[in-house]
Amino acid sequence: MAVISEVRILDASTFLLELSGVTPGAPGQFYMIKPGASTAPFLGRPISIFDAEGDRVRYYIDIVGEGTRMLSRAAVGAHIDVTGPFGNGFPDVDGDVVLIGGAAGAAPLYYYARRLRERMPDRRIDAYIGFSRECPSAEFMAEAMRHVSDSTVLNIGGFITADVNYTLDATYIACGPDPMMADAHRRASERGALLYVSLDKRMACGVGACLGCVCHTGSGPQRACKDGPVFDSREVYHE
Amino acid sequence: MNNPLLTNICGVELKNPVIAASGVFGYGAEYNELFDVSILGGIAGKGLTLSGSAGNRGERICETPSGMLNSIGLQNNGVKHFVEVDCAQMRSHGCAVIANLGGHCEQDYTEGARLLNDADIDLLELNISCPNVRQGGMAFGMNVHDAFDVTRKVKDITRFPLVVKLTPNAPDVVAVARACASAGADALSLVNTFLGMAIDLNARKPFFDNVYAGLSGPAIRPIALRLVHQVAHSVDIPVIGMGGIASCEDALAFIMAGARAVQVGAAIFSDYTCVARIIDGLRDYCVRNRLSNIGEICGIV
Repeated sequence: MAVISEVRILDASTFLLELSGVTPGAPGQFYMIKPGASTAPFLGRPISIFDAEGDRVRYYIDIVGEGTRMLSRAAVGAHIDVTGPFGNGFPDVDGDVVLIGGAAGAAPLYYYARRLRERMPDRRIDAYIGFSRECPSAEFMAEAMRHVSDSTVLNIGGFITADVNYTLDATYIACGPDPMMADAHRRASERGALLYVSLDKRMACGVGACLGCVCHTGSGPQRACKDGPVFDSREVYHE
Repeated sequence: MNNPLLTNICGVELKNPVIAASGVFGYGAEYNELFDVSILGGIAGKGLTLSGSAGNRGERICETPSGMLNSIGLQNNGVKHFVEVDCAQMRSHGCAVIANLGGHCEQDYTEGARLLNDADIDLLELNISCPNVRQGGMAFGMNVHDAFDVTRKVKDITRFPLVVKLTPNAPDVVAVARACASAGADALSLVNTFLGMAIDLNARKPFFDNVYAGLSGPAIRPIALRLVHQVAHSVDIPVIGMGGIASCEDALAFIMAGARAVQVGAAIFSDYTCVARIIDGLRDYCVRNRLSNIGEICGIV
């Protein structure tokens, strides 16, 4: 059980949720957050870490259905059922990093960039984030990313993957809608660039037991929750 | 002090009547990272097929009101891998080990049961009720004739007590239950999931590649309870009840309806701490009601 310490509505479709009393996690990991205490909604929602400090974890959440809508209306001070952290998280790479985020998919990239920068301040971090339309939550994300990157490109309504220069000198990390990550993979592999993608799948358990979030990779079925959510893009887009 | 939850299923002793249902618990390792799974009376392992399967393509789960649809498609590493690897891992948790065996044809079942004779398990649960594989699986549980045949053939081969897991989608579940009992089943477990459906409105297509999927969770509980009640009062062998059990009160209802033991399934996804609460709650119930054993209320309704 954690306590809701902040709910900040960014605009009609996106909000920030801060929980305290949470077991700390690594960038790219996620938690299963249960919107209510009853059996409706029935399952927790897998939400990645936007930022964390001590036992306080922040989440940047798009309202996509009833569960996330309930979370956006949660009362500060209330207890909430959250388990985690789960998943493998982003690789702890050396050298330069290019981050490609689509909408809320940019959220875990922010925490990743912040940690990468802390560990190796002189590396180069370039961020590319895409949103379908102009909105306060897009501005918020771009502003946050500027603080932890050397450059941040915000693309509204276009193909963010086309803005990126793919080279052999950096590690590329993409998180966002599947077509965006597939396109990033196509472009990266044309240049031989190394790309990791973080999958966003429907999950029931979050711990690797139910096999509901399985991705059929080049090396067989892999669980997004336990074996991922971060994979080498060549494993995911192998056909 | 005697353990009032001690439960005997076909000669196998369970420290309590609460079993993790097949398909929700893997072989125990994942949830053991979150809580001590040795508190369970037993674990029914993920459904096995003779040579294993990569499972279904496309979306596999979809939340529903107080429940969920799943279309996993019996993803597993095959019976051989279970005998050599997963089985020992299951045994290490210190609760009864139940292997769940599915199949696409009769030979899958008989050959699977033969290989499982080399495994260190306590009970064999015959899955003639999986709705998520295109051929077979549930087909065997849909009619009296096929259910009888496959039960008898597996019973002739297996050295373990045989539990047959029934589908609620059969037109006459009680008739199938009786057929399995007369074919030599040592116990029955029910219910597997109900066939359901979801539609992707944007794509104007079925949500699942397999079109139909299995519904579980509290949404099915009253129907499952009715079926357990009907079957338990129609056969002389033990019945293991399941279907949306999420609390001690739910478990008590199934036991009063005639279940010797209960399986907890989808509720573990929703809140895995329910397992400990159910077991503690059953123990408290026995103490409060001065029962020397929980079995005293089995089938009381």
